Amino acid sequence: MGTSSGPKLSGMQKQVLSLYRGFLRAARLKSPEDRRQIESIVSAEFRRNSQQVDRKNFLYIEYLLRRGKKQLDQLKSPDTVGMSSLYLNLHQPTNHKP
Amino acid sequence: MAARGALLKYLRVNVQTVPQNPRPNTGLFSLSFNAILRHFSEEVRGSFLDKSEVTDRVISVVKNFQKVDPSKVTPNAHFHNDLGLDSLDTVEVVMALEEEFGFEIPDNEADKINSINLAVDFIASHPQAK
Repeated sequence: MGTSSGPKLSGMQKQVLSLYRGFLRAARLKSPEDRRQIESIVSAEFRRNSQQVDRKNFLYIEYLLRRGKKQLDQLKSPDTVGMSSLYLNLHQPTNHKP
Repeated sequence: MAARGALLKYLRVNVQTVPQNPRPNTGLFSLSFNAILRHFSEEVRGSFLDKSEVTDRVISVVKNFQKVDPSKVTPNAHFHNDLGLDSLDTVEVVMALEEEFGFEIPDNEADKINSINLAVDFIASHPQAK
């Protein structure tokens, strides 16, 4: 993954971490089971992208950030219980697994 | 016009019924009101936690983090260099600390916390930490 430690975080890294934090905060407001489910989906997605996405592919990372922010806004709505439906809908078109 | 006069009379507010100073027989009420006020101001102002207590609680939170080897957690441990955590793990640890101490750490502060020492310093200097 090559996540930097000592050196300062780039602006884009900060945005990604802030988005991750936002998801974890939003998850706190859901029921305990939903929270656990949301956390595991979100964490898996961030980790998958941190390993698979080229760190210099700024355009794609910016796209992912924008998509993530939209998903986060939807998750924040009290009507949204979990992520699964939300996630599948938004995830499919860009899922480039074989 | 008569109707208007009647209506205005009806709507008139009697100012005199509001006392300027609390009467002796409202002592209980004013006492509890003061207690609420004081409680509220303490809530806002907060108080600083003892640093050694903060250190103990931070260490126990970090030890409970699944990806951490509890034997490696010392008061001077660095999240990445000593505990092998990446930046996403660090976000999770700092969020767990927020829950432990009952206050929200803003992004720009959270990004700087990358060791037990820094976490303890920040929390011990934060009046809202409980």
